[in-house]
Amino acid sequence: MDLVDFVQSITDGLLFGATYALIGIGFTMIFGVMHKINLAYAATSIAGAYVSWAVGTLLPLPALVTFVVAAIGGGIVGYLVYLCCFKFIPVTSPLATLLGTVGMLILIDEIIVHETNGMPQPYPALFDDVYFEIGEFYGIRGDLLFIFFLSLIATAILLYILYRTKLGIATRAVAQQPVAAQLCGISIERTNASTFVITGLLGGLAGAMIGASVGVLSPLLTLPITIKGLIVTVIGGLGSIPGAIIAGLLVGAFENFFQALRGVTERDMYVMLLLFAFLTFRPGGIFSKTTSRD
Amino acid sequence: MLEVNDIVTAYGKIEALKGVDLAVSQGQVTCLLGPNGAGKTTLMMTIAGILRPKRGSIRFNGQDIAGKPARMIVEQGIVLVPENRLVFRDMTVEENLMAGAFSRSDGKTVQSDLEAMYERFPHLQERSTQYAGTLSGGEQQMLAISRALMARPRLLLMDEPSLGLAPLIVEDIFRIIRELNDEGMTVFVVEQNARMALQVADHFYLIEQGKVVFDGTPGEMEEDEVIKRAYLGKKI
Ligand SMILES: Nc1ncnc2c1ncn2[C@@H]1O[C@H](COP(=O)(O)OP(=O)(O)OP(=O)(O)O)[C@@H](O)[C@H]1O
Ligand SMILES: [Mg+2]
Repeated sequence: MDLVDFVQSITDGLLFGATYALIGIGFTMIFGVMHKINLAYAATSIAGAYVSWAVGTLLPLPALVTFVVAAIGGGIVGYLVYLCCFKFIPVTSPLATLLGTVGMLILIDEIIVHETNGMPQPYPALFDDVYFEIGEFYGIRGDLLFIFFLSLIATAILLYILYRTKLGIATRAVAQQPVAAQLCGISIERTNASTFVITGLLGGLAGAMIGASVGVLSPLLTLPITIKGLIVTVIGGLGSIPGAIIAGLLVGAFENFFQALRGVTERDMYVMLLLFAFLTFRPGGIFSKTTSRD
Repeated sequence: MLEVNDIVTAYGKIEALKGVDLAVSQGQVTCLLGPNGAGKTTLMMTIAGILRPKRGSIRFNGQDIAGKPARMIVEQGIVLVPENRLVFRDMTVEENLMAGAFSRSDGKTVQSDLEAMYERFPHLQERSTQYAGTLSGGEQQMLAISRALMARPRLLLMDEPSLGLAPLIVEDIFRIIRELNDEGMTVFVVEQNARMALQVADHFYLIEQGKVVFDGTPGEMEEDEVIKRAYLGKKI
């Protein structure tokens, strides 16, 4: 592998890693607010993309609208996951909610397989005919650049909500100190629900970006994306949004580099090794900080 | 203003409150005394809607609020400054105050209340952009009090506001309680430091093992030999 391939694979990986960053943010935000892992989150994201695909088969949508529909679909599915797996299951049994989300992951997968007969479905790409040449050897794929900027915008909107609005104050208050949050008149249930909707919107968008850059949607996506999302969350540090962003880009670049170096079938092995390296040497993630809760 | 009748609150099978009766009159400072584990915090959390009572009623201006969610109780005008302050450590001082105003929708008056709070607590203004977790214990207590005030309570509940603080800061806190009361605020405060409480309280309750065992004015309290020995030390 020469320098050109090296730089090119890492650049492409970084850009695609923006989708992992969004998925990681979703996992980490739900964990931050509820102190529970939602294993159905990546499935929510792919389900959102499938919703937009399904709507697209009924009436043709411009590609950009497809993304919006995917986000809305993700928000709705996210809320349904909250209702089924979290709202009515007692908080005192953490294993119950965890298993609930595993069940939901499989259920969403089964519904997708059933509705599409297990066949991959074409998904519209945006700007896949655009290619920016940089110098003599390098270039940037238009579709990857687009999803990268879309992720940036989505993340900026999310951070704005979290740090500049009442909803954001409530969300962070519940995450840090649920009893005090209630004493401020903040409803834990509503905050939990809104967190699932917001992360669902984000996930649906990420699902659409994944579909668009791969060119198809397939039920085979849910499991790998679930695993990548969890890896990003662990590497970024559970509950850390900046961590999830950086870890998402890192994992994207890392896997694409090894894909270029060793081929697509070997790539995920190296990603797993990266996970173990982190668990061993930096178990708290990139921004390991022990958030004290009193 | 507040009437607590026969409240029973349990953790699992263990009843921490075994039928508590007491009342808080409007415009007064009422103080709840009691040894560790007596159920003071449990009572405060029950009134504030964090814990659900098994039995009994809590009337606030005539309405039964027992078992209502905390959000509705804040909206009714009862706000608790919790034991151990429970500030939002990873939020700035100003964000903590804004969180306190969550139940209000009038943006303009919230802003003017924020300024009023900074006037009352100049320390907080200096530290408005600092994370609450970096404040000293006394500053965190001031923040917890002002966060509660941001909700514009009609009844302020305070659970051991002087706990673990230096004597000078304790003086400060009691001065603030008196100021608030002079401005018309009704206060119901849990306090182990009976001597300090005597300076501000209009009425005392003593709770032991989940039941109210004494109820009276400061004068009556000072005359009660048992209380005098247990809570005020020998000389008074
Ligand atoms: N979360 C809990 N689970 C089980 N029992 C509890 C819990 N919290 C308190 N208790 C018990 O309930 C009783 C009353 O506790 P509470 O915290 O109300 O006392 P307190 O009067 O506030 O004491 P302190 O002065 O130490 O703050 C105690 O016996 C305590 O052990
Ligand atoms: Mg207590």
